[in-house]
Amino acid sequence: MIPELEYAVYVWSSYGIFAVVVAWQILQPVLYRRRLMAELREEQALQSGEYDDPNP
Amino acid sequence: MSLRALPALLLRDLRLAVRHGGESLMPLFFLFAVLILVPLGVGPGPNLLATIAPGMIWVAALLASLLALENLFRPDFEDGTLEQWWLGHLPVTGLVMTRLLSHWLITGLPVILFAPLAAQMLYLPDQALGVLMLSLLIGTPILSLIGGLAAALTLGTNRGSVLLSILVFPLVVPVLIFATGAVAAAADGFSPRAHLGLLAALLVLALTLVPLAVTAALRLNIE
Amino acid sequence: MIWKTIKVGFHRLGSAPSFYRFSTVVSPWLWAGFALCSVIGVYYALYVVPPDYQQSDSFRILYVHVPSAWQAMAGYVVMSILAAIALIWRIRLTEIMAMMCAPIGAAFTAICLATGSIWGRPMWGTWWEWDARLTSMLVLLFIYLGIMGLYAAFDDKRKGARVACILVLVGLVNIPIIHFSVEWWTTLHQGKTIRIFGESSMHYSMMPPLIWMTIGVKLMFGAALLDRARNELLTQDRRKGWVRKILSNKGD
Repeated sequence: MIPELEYAVYVWSSYGIFAVVVAWQILQPVLYRRRLMAELREEQALQSGEYDDPNP
Repeated sequence: MSLRALPALLLRDLRLAVRHGGESLMPLFFLFAVLILVPLGVGPGPNLLATIAPGMIWVAALLASLLALENLFRPDFEDGTLEQWWLGHLPVTGLVMTRLLSHWLITGLPVILFAPLAAQMLYLPDQALGVLMLSLLIGTPILSLIGGLAAALTLGTNRGSVLLSILVFPLVVPVLIFATGAVAAAADGFSPRAHLGLLAALLVLALTLVPLAVTAALRLNIE
Repeated sequence: MIWKTIKVGFHRLGSAPSFYRFSTVVSPWLWAGFALCSVIGVYYALYVVPPDYQQSDSFRILYVHVPSAWQAMAGYVVMSILAAIALIWRIRLTEIMAMMCAPIGAAFTAICLATGSIWGRPMWGTWWEWDARLTSMLVLLFIYLGIMGLYAAFDDKRKGARVACILVLVGLVNIPIIHFSVEWWTTLHQGKTIRIFGESSMHYSMMPPLIWMTIGVKLMFGAALLDRARNELLTQDRRKGWVRKILSNKGD
């Protein structure tokens, strides 16, 4: 299934680096957006008085 | 449109530099600190020192020109003088050029004047000395121009100094390559003309484009 | 008539809420396109293409290395065009998009350097070679980092974006000069390094994965750019009405 390559370590680590960086390009915006949305929702709740304080 | 105010600005900048004696001698101190530390670090062998001499002198000159950049436009920016540049009748690009000229006179010229001494300390072959001086004469104005651009770009930020060196470093790569290449070629007995010609071309390009970019960057920063 | 529709559509796209909607719809498709292209590309690259007669299997690194290198440079061109538009017409959206090109371009430059270094180890016998391409890529990485650093250093993001756009254009003039000078420098300081592939030495059977990966990487650049620009827009407009509206719609 997995091809038997010469210099396998080098080839796989190159593709691995590519995969990791691509994954980071996908994840970073998603994580950032999630955090930002939570922050904005909290801000909005604070303003409209619906904020429900987790530690009163 | 009278340009008589430009020499006045130049004189004022130079007078300020002279009166702040210690501060304006910093680039020179820095140059010699590097030149003394390098032989201590790599050993006093004349052959090794002679090979790395062009590079060392040039890197020292480059780092020396970075020192004074932080305060190139900042005091004027903070006390509002910079805004007056746009309100007055003088062309701003001219004022920018004058300021960069004074920066070169304060940081570049002393390095050129003391280059023969530095060359002797690092055993640079005699036939390369003239080319070293010439390369510094053509190259250090480019350093001032690029440094001025970086200073203008980082003007609106609080942590300018680290950023300054990151911005300057990639842009001066060609200058360093052609200048040290010229000196190394001369030291090996080859003609340095191709390198010096390219260096001069860089100077012309920088002289025409950089002042415009500096003016635009300053304008955006005072908005 | 058609021209007018395009023009109006373009102007609409320039407004924050429509760009937000546009990017929300388009970006998943671009990601899907990237996934498809890269799966085909990687399959061809690792299974179908025969090993090189000189480099054996190590040349398969080419299929991630070269598309990344191309995209690192193409990304800079895209960023410069956006920066020029931003400075001339002062369109806020292009400012944001130009700034968001930098981290993605830097990521591709980093992939290119890392895979190049890994490739160099078995082929040249060293992790780092002061080769013209490697050196100018390293300088390109620092230019990208400088642009990101400059933008991040400003509190006023619009001002920061415009100032950094000037740096982008300065870099555009400089990159060819840097590349040329570094090439000149390496030819003087060392013999010509091993040419990995000359003009004609690339057999046509090696081409398909390269094409697939290149297309995939371009789609990915677009997708990541839209995602990041959308986030940046939300951050900058957090106090504005249209963001509130989006929030309350989502809440339901």
